Formats: sequence, structure tokens, C-alpha cells
Amino acid sequence: EIHTNEKEATEKEVTLHLLPGEQLLCEASTVLKCVQEDSCQRGIYGKLVCTDFKIAFLGDDESALESDETQFKNKIIGENDIALHCVDQIYGVFDEKKKTLFGQLKKYPEKLIIHCKDLRVFHFCLRYTKEEEVKRIVSGIIHHTLAPKLLKRLFLFSYASAVHSNTPTNPKNHTVMFDTLEDWCWELERTKGSMKYKAVSVNEGYKVCERLPAYFVVPAPLPEETVSRFQGHGVPIWCWSYHNGCALLKMSALPREQDDGILQTHKNFLDGIYRVIHRPPYEIVKTEDLSSNFLSLPDIQTAYSKFKQLFLIDNSTEFWDTDIKWFSLLESSSWLDIIRRCLKKAIEVIECLDAQNTNVLLVEENASDLCCLVSSLVQVMMDPHCRTRAGFQSLVQKEWVAGGHCFLDRCNHLRQSDKEEVPVFLLFLDCVWQLVHQHPPAFEFTETYLTVLSDSLYIPIFTTFFFNSPHQKEMNLGREGQDAHSTPLHLLTVWDWSVQFESRAQTLLQNPLYVEKPKLDKGQRKGTHLKHQRQLSLPLTQSKSSPKRGFFREETDHLIKNLLGKRISKLINYSDELQDSFREFYDSWHSKPADYHGLLLPHIEGPEVRVWAQRYLRWIPEAQILGGGAVAMTSRLVGMMEEVRSLQEKINERHHHQRALPAEAPSLLRSSARLSSLFPFALLQRRPSKPVLPTSGWKALGDEEDLARREDEFVDLGEV
Amino acid sequence: MWWGGRGQSFNIAPQKEEPEMGETPLSSDYDFALVNIGQLEAVSSLSRVQLHRPGSLLKFIPEEILIHGRDFRLLRVGFEAGGLEPQAFQVTMAIVQARAQSSQNQQYSGITLSKAGQSSGSRKSPIPLLETPEDWETERKKQGANGWRVSLVNERFDVATSLPRYFWVPNRTLDSEVRRAFGHFHQGRGPRLSWHHPGGSDLLRCGGFYTASDPNKEDIRSVESMLQAGHSDVVLVDTMDELPSLADVQLAHLRLRALCLPDSSVSEDKWLSALEGTRWLDYVRSCLRKASDISVLVTSRVRSVVLQERGDRDFNGLLSSLVQLLSAPEARTLLGFQSLVQREWVVAGHPFLTRLGVTGVSEKAPVFLLFLDCVWQLLQQFPAEFEFSEFFLLALHDSVRVPDTLTFLRDNPWERGKQSGQFNSYTQVYTPGYSHPPAGNSVNAQLSVWDWDLRYSNEQILQFHNPGYDPERCQDSWLPRQQPSFMVRGPPSSVWLFSRGALTALNQLCPWRDSPCLLTVSSRWLPRPAISSESLADQEWGLPSHWGACPLPAGLLLPGYLGPQIRLWKRCYLRGRPEVQRGLSAPTITGLQDELSRLQELIEKWTPRTSPEDRSQKRDPNPILSQSC
Repeated sequence: EIHTNEKEATEKEVTLHLLPGEQLLCEASTVLKCVQEDSCQRGIYGKLVCTDFKIAFLGDDESALESDETQFKNKIIGENDIALHCVDQIYGVFDEKKKTLFGQLKKYPEKLIIHCKDLRVFHFCLRYTKEEEVKRIVSGIIHHTLAPKLLKRLFLFSYASAVHSNTPTNPKNHTVMFDTLEDWCWELERTKGSMKYKAVSVNEGYKVCERLPAYFVVPAPLPEETVSRFQGHGVPIWCWSYHNGCALLKMSALPREQDDGILQTHKNFLDGIYRVIHRPPYEIVKTEDLSSNFLSLPDIQTAYSKFKQLFLIDNSTEFWDTDIKWFSLLESSSWLDIIRRCLKKAIEVIECLDAQNTNVLLVEENASDLCCLVSSLVQVMMDPHCRTRAGFQSLVQKEWVAGGHCFLDRCNHLRQSDKEEVPVFLLFLDCVWQLVHQHPPAFEFTETYLTVLSDSLYIPIFTTFFFNSPHQKEMNLGREGQDAHSTPLHLLTVWDWSVQFESRAQTLLQNPLYVEKPKLDKGQRKGTHLKHQRQLSLPLTQSKSSPKRGFFREETDHLIKNLLGKRISKLINYSDELQDSFREFYDSWHSKPADYHGLLLPHIEGPEVRVWAQRYLRWIPEAQILGGGAVAMTSRLVGMMEEVRSLQEKINERHHHQRALPAEAPSLLRSSARLSSLFPFALLQRRPSKPVLPTSGWKALGDEEDLARREDEFVDLGEV
Repeated sequence: MWWGGRGQSFNIAPQKEEPEMGETPLSSDYDFALVNIGQLEAVSSLSRVQLHRPGSLLKFIPEEILIHGRDFRLLRVGFEAGGLEPQAFQVTMAIVQARAQSSQNQQYSGITLSKAGQSSGSRKSPIPLLETPEDWETERKKQGANGWRVSLVNERFDVATSLPRYFWVPNRTLDSEVRRAFGHFHQGRGPRLSWHHPGGSDLLRCGGFYTASDPNKEDIRSVESMLQAGHSDVVLVDTMDELPSLADVQLAHLRLRALCLPDSSVSEDKWLSALEGTRWLDYVRSCLRKASDISVLVTSRVRSVVLQERGDRDFNGLLSSLVQLLSAPEARTLLGFQSLVQREWVVAGHPFLTRLGVTGVSEKAPVFLLFLDCVWQLLQQFPAEFEFSEFFLLALHDSVRVPDTLTFLRDNPWERGKQSGQFNSYTQVYTPGYSHPPAGNSVNAQLSVWDWDLRYSNEQILQFHNPGYDPERCQDSWLPRQQPSFMVRGPPSSVWLFSRGALTALNQLCPWRDSPCLLTVSSRWLPRPAISSESLADQEWGLPSHWGACPLPAGLLLPGYLGPQIRLWKRCYLRGRPEVQRGLSAPTITGLQDELSRLQELIEKWTPRTSPEDRSQKRDPNPILSQSC
């Protein structure tokens, strides 16, 4: 039978916490939230509520909350909250059968299963709820999550107008937003690209093109009118310059035309462009057409929807069933293979920029999907600045937000077309995770940072990921979009992490192993308005070269190359010439000690591309390792660093005869209890459910009758 | 290049490093024990042949030779570079011949090391080798196994040659009873204590019941009382149930080796299913799962848990060692782990020689390597709980094929003792108080694989320590909930069979009365069907379905054994693949050393220069690293 906490349900009414501008739409009481692995064996009574922002379950989980461990709480989305945009699928259970719910329902289910985009799974049992309330809540939830929506109806707008912006917008963590001409000029300065490229304001007010940002950068000799010729199509737009002067450019392809005359104009136009960028001082341009010869968006979509099913688990039985075939299921989703291909494409581009000294021009239909992915991956690998938090955030701003990635469509926030829903940005984060995982000391942020960033994609109070282009954002939120009399809107960017997390929780986003590159020449960088916080005055990590390795390496190098050649050529069948240079490049980089402040390449062989366990497994209690996991080592590291810091403080104190600063609160990780590998996410699901074993024959210990019956079983077993 | 045959190994090293050679015979990455050579290939621009037998003649002058190690290493030696072509042929054939000779000579004498002879004298073994009753007594006291005593009944190996000379039996059981009771077990391997849980439970191991025997009532009673070990609750664990057979393990290991070869034909996007196809990781997880179940059984109640495997020489050792690693923080220390391997594998008579196929006999199955992989998984999952490092496991992994000590070179303790001349003067009857085998030529007998300094430099040995180990963790009191233990001599009140992940009630312990041959049915490994969701841990502790803040008894580790949690031991298995040899994953001993010393450097750098007062006030942030070996 069902064990519940009826007592607490009656005694403790949990209050609904509403954000400014949030409205309660419907609710139902005596809903039973089932703890997922037991499927209805344990439940908590409470109220299920749907607002215009989230679905929330109000019930007090009695196993909750030791103050120490809830520190990583998200201030916006609670443990039992589901942002409406985070809902992936809704299922109803009718007579033990699970069906997808959508549209108008004739019959109402006895149980609601909600799959979330952050891979949580919720089970709400409605058997004890009044019929009317069931109808209201189920149809309410379905309507508000799955029905197509108008942009203007996004919660973002109600929130923005309801918040009284008496608090000034917080500093954006030094993130460059790339919405002003200065930002672009600054980036040009930083990468020393200003000699050959210039920031243009031809698109101010989006007169030329709605896809492009108001300001962007093009080759300096390019006349501004060429930009407007085909609404920005066919124009090479600067992404980033490498220190050798080579640049990464992108271009949205000219529309396909049948008419010979138009084709000829196109050709002439492009010829003109190429004449400009092929002439010195510009390097030779290599064109990389991402629309052909590379992934297609449907590929990504199919792979991810297969892949995520591995982690959206309704009950333990299902989990154990799939577990046996884990590796082949993983492989058949081909998600990891897609990651490998993205990483490989980025390395190919890098090889051109770094080894062959050529410019690379990425071409895609709108230059807003795979272009964003490849160009930002290239920058993460080549530019150490992009591996800092501020730098990474600026990169996302530059390539994805200003670059016009259609977040609204790709995340399907408005539920207008499932076809358009492709997790390109998530794919990017997963690729970055591979790099973070393989080279942890090179990044200022942690995998937890990437995970919460991926979650933030679905929280509609931040403007960052809720528009298709800067133009759309401007139209809807800018001065023009507003009524004259209304108060200025309070707009939040996702980079203001204090909105979601307390500062103590934010320490988990910061990699304790990261050491900032020592600045060699202070005078050189005076234009910088980026000041990284330097945590500790740690010296630069020594590279791992050692004289001991010297012998044999040189001697075997050419042999190894031969061998490597065979393997790699098996995995790619491009032209040999291209492959050779790629291989040599990849090969020689990996044979040298890694410089965490220089070019950074990932390993892309089969065994090296891995599942982002933290993001995908965090809600699965079966996958929990109590007292283990990477967090065990991290906590030890953090502990040691804290010790060092306190020692340093003591020394300073002695030196300056100052009063001691109040000791910093111990970090989240220093709690004495053993942490689980799911830290910091599924803290509350502390049930170790291992080993999962059948119960037959064990329950009634010592019960004579039972024992007799068991003896029969035992004989049966013998006969088998 | 320098080529030197030294009897059992050969070595290729740059000339400049030669002076070091005398120090550690197989220390360099380019040293291969001859027995370790799995395959030898000669390659020229025109052809590529494998050289198997001494008879197989090389018909060309090789440009390079490839030596595939059984331990997953790959050595490529090129000749064309240094004008060495003339020697190439000679060298290759010499290796072929040396290898052939070494495999003919089936009884390894072990090199037993000239070095050992030099430094001989009173060399004390770094860990108790459990070759004397005193060692056993000390160990028994350490475990607090008060209901047990050391039995000398097998002192002359007349109960069973595969059994250790000494072992633990219940206090009240007489030696004569032991002798009779053991006769009713397969190969005389009756129930012996493996480990006493501080909470009171006992973990026993024994062979299968010898069903053809016809014990009398008294014998049955002593068998029962030995299994029961004074507990009212007895669980018989069918060890082989849900575990792979020996042949399975061997096949999986071969497949794994083939997959990890640098020129394996698996393309990158099929890597995962190929890995799954080897089944090696499946076997690893089934071992972990079973060990995890058993440690719950041992920890949750005071009872006697008996591991029963027909031969009692393979998976019993694997499970019992894993259970101890999971439940006893002591076993996770460097010293504790080595004594564990010595006790549960070496002395307990795991047939290393046969299983590793050194002698070429059938019944090869690298059960011990499977065990090391399981331990590595634990190390990955609980990086702060183990005092030893991955490097230590690698060293142990590589040591099983190095013929310099007898530890892994014999099938049972009797042979090991015979070889080392331990029994030369064994005509006399045992006298209590007799302590050591006579000196004389038995110096080498005292050498074991645990004398790491024979083969590894001090710096390398330093790397055996895991810098992430938090010794304070295991200081916690970790006793399980104490339940009243009835030391009864009557029939046990509850007897269970643990199999298929479930407990089934048995109405008797021994098979001889009604239903024989239940336990002799060998079950093959099968995936466990997914059944209930309620966990054994929950039932065992009778806990409410939500556990409080401290759900597990401190000190007990429950490992993860799900698909995504089991990983490939890349540093070990992918050592032969050049693309993995570089960069991040330091593949070799030196690489590992570099990586660790880099870590240490980091830690050192984090520790700022402090005045002595400060130092004394603060705990040394890393006591492990500062303490010498």
C-alpha cells in the first residue's frame, strides 16, 4: 500500500512562492507526488499548481533539507518546480498504459508523468484528487506548456514590467555584450585584428538586415554598400583573429536561384568580395561549407532525442533493462559521434588557421547554427581568454546571441514548430564539456557551470536565450517596442548568476584548479577593461615535459605516426592530402605537453569522447555513488586550498599587523557528511537504492508459514 | 640501442642509461619479461610476419619489430635509423629463441635476483607473508576475531596442498574435526574464516560440497558448526551464480586485448559496441554488484556469510577481497591491500601460474586481472578512500608476469614453499614455538612481489600513494549496528541461500540429507533480470524508505555498477595505442610519475612558505606525501 506523509500534508501547508508578475492559473490538491524509482510506493501529498511561469508541487518532503546541503538551491526554480519552457513531454497513465498527452482530452489520466528538458522526471498521481480539479489542472498544464504561444505572451514580459528596477542592474561579470560599436572595437583590439578589419554601423536600426546585429565587423576595404546589397548575404563577417593575423570569418550563403541572370550577378558580387579578401594583407582564404559535408540539423535532432531517452527513466525496471545494453544503446544514438565530428571539424579549422596560416571562411545558409557552433568551439580551443568565465560568456554573447542563433525556435520556446527544435547550443556545451573534462586546469569554470548554464536555457526571466535575433529583442523590448508611458523594463541577463545562486553556491561554478596566465607586460594591455579575479597567487603550472621521456620519443615518433595514420584514416575518408595534414597537426600537438594558456585540442578517439555524466545522470538515484565520484577529490582539493588561504591570511596579518578579517564561511564542500557523486544536484534524493534486489523470500523473516512456502520454492529451484 | 639478454628478460635501452641497469632489472618502460611477450612481429616495407616458434625463420631483414606485451604494452623497435640493419636479423632471432626457451622451461626458477642475494642477510618482508602461525595469530588479533583460532592441521599440506599451511577455524572445533570435515569438500577446501567484521559478522570461504562422499552424522554436525561459526543466521553465497565462468573471463580478456591493439580494425564510431562486445566490462560490473550485495549482507546483521565456489580458488578470492575493500577501511591502505592480496590470493592458493597461462596449460583465465580492474573501478569511484594509487595497481598488474619472485609464479603455497626450499628440513614434527624455517638457502623465499624496491625506484614507490587519500575519513567510528549475537551451538535458526541477487530460505546447510547436488550445479553468468525496486540495503537495515543524513554505516562503500559508471581502464589497456600514449593520459610508469609529481608540485606550490610556528600550528596539508615510504 501507499505510505504517505498525510500528517504533514495537513499540518504543513507550503506556501507558493510567486515571482513578480507571476500569476496563479490553476491548482489541484491532494496530489500525490511519487518518488520516481518506487513508482507509487512512496508519495508525498501536496498541491499541484500551475502558474504562467512554472508548474510547482507544494508538499513538504520530510526527508528534506539540512541547511548545509541546500546551499546550491536555485533561487528561481525550486526543487519541485518546473518552468513551463522546461517541459519536454507530458504523459498520462490510463489503466497502467502510458500515453502522450496533447490537445483536448476526452478522458483524464490517473497519473501525470512530466519529462523535463533538464532530464528530470516527475510523477504526479491524481487518483485521490477531485475530478474537477484533475480536469482543470491537467488541461491547464497541457495548454500552458504545449500549446503554441505568442512571443508577447512570454513570461519574460510580465516579469520585466512587474519588477521595479530600483536596484541598478548588476555588473555583468565583465561580460561583453556586443550590443555596441565599442564592444566590437574592443574585441578587435584584443585580438589585434583592427589593422585589417573594421567595425561597421551600417545595420544600425536594422535597416539592412534583421538577422544581423546592429554592429559587426567586416574586412576593412569592404565598402559598406556591399553589405546592404543582398541583405547581408554573401558578406564575410569577422569572428575572431588569431595572433598570427589569420582570421576566422563567417558568411551566410546567397539564396539559391534558378535564374541565370541572377546567378551571374551573384557570381560577380562574390568575385568582387573575394578580390578584396584575397589580396594582401589578407591571407589566403579557405572556405568551409558547413551546409554540405557536415552534420545536418535533423541529424542532431534525431541523435539527441534518442540519446536523452537513455536518461528519461520512468521507473527502475526500465533503467535496469536498458543498463545491460548501455554501450550499444549509447552508440546507436550516435550523439557522441556527433560530438566527435564537431570537435574534429573545429580542429580542421584550427589546423588551417594555425599551421597553414590561412583565413577560414565558414559558410552556412544563415550562418546562425553550425557556424556559431564551429566558430565558438574554435575560439574556445585557440583563445585562452574564452576559457575564463567572462571570456566564455562574452563568446556566447558574440557568436550566439549577437550572432543571431535562433534560440526561440531551436529551443521551441513558443511551441510553434517541433521540427525547428534542435539542441545546437546544448551540443556546443557538450563539446565544451569534453574539453573541460579532458583539460580541467585550462578552464576557469567547472562542469557544474556548464550544467547550470544549460538549465538556464529554459528560465524565461532572462532575455539571453529567448529571442531569435538582437533585432527581435530590440523590437520587443527596446524603446520602440514600448508604450510611452510604461516604466522601463527590468531586463536580466543570464550572466548575472546572483539572480539564481547565492554567492556561496556560485563558488561551485569556479574551478579551483584554474590558474590565470601571468601577465607579462602590464603596459601592453592598458585598454583592457577586463579584470579577471585572481584567486590565489599561484604560479603557473609547469608543463609535464620531463627529460626522462626524451629518449625513444623522437626515435619512435615516425613509427607512431605511421601507426596513427592507419587508425585515423579509417575513421575519415576525405582526400588523403587533407587528412595527412590534419593528422600531422593533431598528432604533433598531442605529442607535446599541453600549454593550458595556449592552443588546446581535445582527444577525439573512440574511448575519449564521454558522456557528460553530471548533466545527464544527475537525477537518477540509481547512479548515485555515496561518498564517491569526482566531488570527493574536488572537496579534498578545495579543502587544501582553503587551508592555504587561511595560512596566507595569517602571514599577511603578521606582516601588516592588521586585524584578522572575519574568516570566510566554509565552502559547501566542506561539510563533514559524505557527499554523493550526484552533488550538487540531487541532494535530496539521498536514498541509496543499491543494490536493487528482489524481495521474495526475505520479507517475513522467521515467519513459519512463509518459511514452509519458501521451502517449496526452494525445491522448485532445485529441479530447475 | 643496446641489447642485452639477461636470462628471463630482455631490455632495450639507450646507452647512456646503462649504469642504472643494475638497480632495477625491469624498471624501464622498454623492458619486457620474456613471458610477457604475447606476439612478435617483424616488419619490413614489403612484408609483415609473425614469429611464433623458434623454427619460424625470418626470410628478410626486418626494418622494425613489434613486440606486443600480454600486459597491453606495445614496443616498436626500428632499426633503419641508426645504421643497425646488420644486427636487426640477429636481434630478432635471438628474441625468438630466448622466448622459446623460456616457454619450454615450464618451471620457472624465478630470477630471484642476484641483487637479492647481494643485499640478502636479514631482509624483512614488508608485509606479513602469512607463512608462519605467528603471522596468522597477529592478523587474527588485529581483526578481533575472538571466536577463532589458528589451525595447524595442514602444516604439512596433508589435508590439501592447495590450502594454506595455516588458517582460521572456530575456537571450539578440534583439529580432528577439521580434518574430517574438510574431507567432504571439493579438494579438501573446507570452510575457513576470511574476515571478521568488527560488528561481529564473519565472512567465510570454502569449496563445493563433495557430493560423492557419505559423511556420518557427526561429520555433518562438524561441517555445519564450522559453516555456522557460532551464528544463528547463516547465508550461503553461491559464488559462481551470476558471475562469468573461467572460460568467459579468458575470452573476454583476449577480446579486450585484441580491441585495444593499436591496429585493431574497429572504427571510432563503433568503438563502444565493440567494447561492449568484449563483455569484459560486463564481467567487471557483475563482480562489483555481487561484492556490493555481499558487503550489505555482512554489514547489516551479525551472521556468518559463506562464499562457496566449487574450487574455492578463483572467484571466492575475488569476492572476498572486494567485500573487504568495500567494508573495511583498513583494507584500503597500501599495507592493508597488500596483505589482503597475500592472504586471499597468494596464500589461499589461487593458481596464478595456470590462470595466467604462463605454462601454456589450458584453464587460462586472468581472474586476478579482473580483480585488479574491479579495484581500479573502486578507485575511480571513490578517489579519496584509497591510500594506494592507480600507479600501484598498474605496477601490480605488470608484476604478475615478471618472473623474479615466487609470489605469482606458483599455483599453490605448497609448490611455492617447495621451490624456495622451505621444507628442506621438514622431517621434524611441528613444535609449538617453532618460529622460522631454517636459514641457509631460503633467503630468496623471503622475497616477494611486495619487495617493491627490487624492481622500482624509491621515487616510483612514492607514487604508489594516492595524494587524494584522506586518512581522516577512515578514522570515523564505523561499527555497524550491533545486534545481539547468540553464540549458539545448536542448529542455526535461519539458513539462507543467496543467489540471483535474492535470499532463499534453505532448510538445511549441507546437501547430503535430502536434496543433494543443489550447490554443485554450476550456474552460468546471466544478466540479472530487472525485478523489484526495493533494495536489499533497505530491507536489511529495515530502514524507512527515506534515509536520514547518514544513510550508510560510515566506512562501507557501495560501488556503482551501472553502464555509465563502469569505465575502461585506459591507462592500462590502451597503453599500446600511440595516440593515447601521448598527452593527457600518461600511459607508462614514467608518464604517471610525471603526472603525479606535477600534482605534488602543485600542492607544494599551494603551500606557501610559512614560518615554523605556523607550520606547527597547522596540520600538514598533505601528510601522505611528506611521509617517506
